[in-house]
Amino acid sequence: MLSQCCTPYAPTCCTMEESSSSMRSSEQKEEMKKVSEKTVKKRSKEEEDAEPDEVFNFKCTEKEEEEEDVTDSEDSVFSGLEDSLSDSADDDDDDDDDDDEDQKVEPEQTPQEGAAQEDEYKQDSSDEEDIRNTVGNIPMEWYKDFPHIGYNLDGKKIYKPIRNKDELDEFLDKMEDPNYWRTVHDKQTGSDIVLSDEQVELVKRLQRGQFGDVNFNEYQPQVEFFSEDLMIHPVTNRPADKRSFIPSLIEKEKVSKLVHAIKMGWIKPRRTEDASRGSYYDLWANEDSSILANHKMHLPAPKIPLPGHQESYNPPPEYLFTDEERALWEQQDVSDRKLPFVPRKFSSLRQVPSFPRFLHERFERCLDLYLCPRQRKMRVNVNPDDLIPKLPKPKDLQPFPTTQSLVYRGHSGLVRSISVSPSGQWLASGSDDGSVRFWEVCSSRCMRTVQVGGAVKSIAWNPNPLVSLLAVAQDSVVLILSPSLADRQVLLSTEQLLSDQWEAESAEEDGPVKWINLEGEELSQGIRIKIQHPKAVHQVTWHAKGDYLASVMPDHSSHLQVFIHQVSRRRSQNPFRKSKGLVQCVSFHPVRPYFFVGTQRSVRIYNLVKQEMTKKLQANSKWISSMAVHPGGDHVICGSYDCRLSWFDLDLSTKPYKMLRHHKKAVRGVAYHRLYPLFASASDDGSVIVCHGTVYSDLLQNPLIVPVKVLRGHVITHDLGVLDVTFHPTQPWIFSSGADGTIRLFT
Amino acid sequence: MSQLQARFFTENKRYVVDDVPFSIPAASEVLELSNVINKLLEAKNASHSKVEFDFLVRGQFLRTSLATHMETEGISTEDVVEIEYVERITAPEAEECMMHDDWISAVDADAEWILTGSYDKTARIWSVEGKAVITVAGHTEVVKDVAWVKRDGLTSLLLTASLDQTLLLWEWNSEQNKVKARHCCRGHTASVDAVATDPTGSRFCSGSWDKMLKIWSAVPTDEADEVGEPADRPRKKQKTQQLGLTRTPLMTLSGHNEAVSSVLWTDSEEVCSASWDHTIRIWDIETGGMKTTLTGSKVFNCISYSPLCRRLASGSTDRHIRLWDPRTKDGSLVQLSLTSHTGWVTAVKWAPSHEYQLVSGSLDNLVKLWDTRSCKAPLYDLAAHEDKVFCVDWTESGLMLSGGADNKLYTYRCSAGPTDAGA
Repeated sequence: MLSQCCTPYAPTCCTMEESSSSMRSSEQKEEMKKVSEKTVKKRSKEEEDAEPDEVFNFKCTEKEEEEEDVTDSEDSVFSGLEDSLSDSADDDDDDDDDDDEDQKVEPEQTPQEGAAQEDEYKQDSSDEEDIRNTVGNIPMEWYKDFPHIGYNLDGKKIYKPIRNKDELDEFLDKMEDPNYWRTVHDKQTGSDIVLSDEQVELVKRLQRGQFGDVNFNEYQPQVEFFSEDLMIHPVTNRPADKRSFIPSLIEKEKVSKLVHAIKMGWIKPRRTEDASRGSYYDLWANEDSSILANHKMHLPAPKIPLPGHQESYNPPPEYLFTDEERALWEQQDVSDRKLPFVPRKFSSLRQVPSFPRFLHERFERCLDLYLCPRQRKMRVNVNPDDLIPKLPKPKDLQPFPTTQSLVYRGHSGLVRSISVSPSGQWLASGSDDGSVRFWEVCSSRCMRTVQVGGAVKSIAWNPNPLVSLLAVAQDSVVLILSPSLADRQVLLSTEQLLSDQWEAESAEEDGPVKWINLEGEELSQGIRIKIQHPKAVHQVTWHAKGDYLASVMPDHSSHLQVFIHQVSRRRSQNPFRKSKGLVQCVSFHPVRPYFFVGTQRSVRIYNLVKQEMTKKLQANSKWISSMAVHPGGDHVICGSYDCRLSWFDLDLSTKPYKMLRHHKKAVRGVAYHRLYPLFASASDDGSVIVCHGTVYSDLLQNPLIVPVKVLRGHVITHDLGVLDVTFHPTQPWIFSSGADGTIRLFT
Repeated sequence: MSQLQARFFTENKRYVVDDVPFSIPAASEVLELSNVINKLLEAKNASHSKVEFDFLVRGQFLRTSLATHMETEGISTEDVVEIEYVERITAPEAEECMMHDDWISAVDADAEWILTGSYDKTARIWSVEGKAVITVAGHTEVVKDVAWVKRDGLTSLLLTASLDQTLLLWEWNSEQNKVKARHCCRGHTASVDAVATDPTGSRFCSGSWDKMLKIWSAVPTDEADEVGEPADRPRKKQKTQQLGLTRTPLMTLSGHNEAVSSVLWTDSEEVCSASWDHTIRIWDIETGGMKTTLTGSKVFNCISYSPLCRRLASGSTDRHIRLWDPRTKDGSLVQLSLTSHTGWVTAVKWAPSHEYQLVSGSLDNLVKLWDTRSCKAPLYDLAAHEDKVFCVDWTESGLMLSGGADNKLYTYRCSAGPTDAGA
């Protein structure tokens, strides 16, 4: 390769050399597979061209060689140089081949050149003695007196020439011989030598201080073997020193000295540059904690929301506007638009045009910051959970009814009202099928059925444990039943109570209410007294002592809505002169002489002794359906048809202390437990909700109301669910009666 | 953990295998273990016929795989496991069904005769084969409980307690098949819900809704006790209806705050009563005082005492059967809860001849046979009844009885091998 690029060959030879070398190089290239196909093809073409040339060239070499002596020698010189410099194997091969060729050529050249060189040696040798005279370099005066002047190589005397020339001859020669000035006497041989023109010229040149050789150019251009250019070959081929492979002892010594100095603390580590120096103050880094924030009234600028997917140059397709959205966007007023721009999609960031509204937007932002009045807002971080009052878990509030235990089946109509005997052994129920049934609580056995001849609206067991009486409201009569399920003693006292008034009965005939003693078949069923009312009775309720009985006849027009009957005296009275609204339900205070009258919107509390109203409770509901008084007497719950249950604390306010809206439909019945802190509400949605309601004797503490259980079981029939609910007097059990004709016990 | 070292042992001499540890797969269940034992027995005794076994690991029945059982019980699997095996109790089969006219409220059976109380105000006597013998009518109200008192040859004494606040002591001659009311026990002021005869048959105890327990003499006499009540018109009326001679209680034990639902004698001087006031009380009859109170959290419906394991079983209005040690003095100590029923447990009865077994009846129509060594699940569910179960009994002869609101009294024969009984 090198030969190819830097050979100053003669044109004729060049063709041969070049072609051959190119052929070889192409082969190599092919081997190395580093050349593109095109060049290979080109080369192969050259090869094809070159091959016949080569053949031709070999034939004509012998002819041409004689003419090319000089060039060949030059070539050899060059190749030798190359050889010495070359490192790579390729070049070596290359050059070896060259050498071989040179060697082939050289033996043919030697005979011609050898003659020339022999001659040259004889002339040029200055170091060796002149072998024509072996005496050496001695003063020739020593042979002045001898006929010879020395000895030749064979040891024979070299005789002095016969001196026929005297001074005159010499003078004559000097005068006549034109070559005299260039004739030199050789002392050693004693002969005169006429210098040729060339020799004269050489002498002259030497005398001028010039090189002897005319052709020698003393100002040849310098070939710098060491230059700034990066060469592929090393300058020298000298093998690396041994010391370059072994660690330097001097360096080791130096390093150990430094290490020792560091250990001793003589050298300190370089001091780190102070980080703050040279860094710039970040104005926006923490705006709020900046110097401005130290101001008392500093209001930080509102932050711009961070860009979202809409702002992306390549948003997800759901962010792109559909045609409708675009039309809507265009129609909308600027201020109404949800987005101030239309999201657009570009395939690459390069294609995103400059934002035309940039200045406008910046300006508006500045305007906002400048003009927008800012107000200092006291923000309070409150955990929402903290706002919910801490209620105990229902689990901790046991006992309360949780599961349905017994179902009392037997009624064929919806069961409007239920009541448990004060002992807790019996349950009475009144139904639309015209019967009153008595059930054994623990076995769900129907012990007795009394046909009363009409739908039973309300039923109430006398709370006095010493008598066993049941008040039943059926149409416009209130029946007093003696179920004869109790003890003999109790029956005895009941008999006494009923027979006592028998004597005083006749006096009170003329009122709107008639007391009728029953006989015959009805008496054998246990129905003892019939109290005939002017209108349909909706509710009956007993006083805690069991002597007084209140009945309700809702009617807008009349003041005859509530009657209080005294069973022992068979007396009835109407406590109210005026109608204050449609009376829904009434109740006696359990201990004090108070009477609760629930109308549609409110509950009025009357003092029966003073004959005046003491309080009016405003239930925030449309239509009260039921009411129950806490056994302590200070709390009232009201259920209403608008799904609410309101708890009134009589000491607290006339407004409900708590409204519970857990039911989905109208609340039909509410009840308090006599002993346990429980109350329940029954609703048309078929569920009974049991709540825990602790009442504290401490007046400062409000009642704790926690809903604990939703009891389901009743089937909703005719859009009616549970109609009445009542607690067992001693156990935490609850009875509920429903429109599906069943009574269920939950324990 | 695929293999366990186990050593098998049994109390039953017939089925003893060599006392060497075996390596058995940890995943093996009762069936595999039973096969192992059968193989071993066959190798030992060629005439051995295959027997189903049940396995106990540290006194608990194996119901899952051995590995999971030991994991839940926290037993180390490194040591040799001691596994006891017993012959499996086969499922009790309903033998007889005795139809009543009304709900059955109570049953008491001995080796020959079954006495049932019914809501049709009568008590009935049946033979154990299911033949109706006689109907004992006399109460004016529902019969709530019945009890045999004594058998003296052909004449037997029996008791019925009723809602009409009286107990009647009857004398029944099984040969003539005649029943005669000997005494009418008056004194309770509410329905008498429970009656129990003491082991000697000379006294009985009754519990009533009026919260009282009364001790009566069970010996029939020919003269009536003096009724300490003022003469009155209704009394006169009752006297005409009364059957037998009036008897007054020997002793009244008051202390319960609610109705007494169940009474029993633990020995001849000790009465135990369960009540709706969530307590079980143990009374000393000699002094008439209360000895211990066990307080629960729910109404107790029934109790049963086993002299074999000296434990009380109680059924309450929650779904659990609880086992109590009546000798503990410090408050309530529930030893074990058996939970599988889904309704009130209305009746429990210990096996008279087995330390670990008891039977229970519930409002969920099921009668369950339990083994206290397997408290997670009952041994068997007896689902014969179609309505609420009110009473169960278990006789010495291994007959189980249950009656309920479907008017049927079922008897079951528990075919536990006689070798297993009386352990």
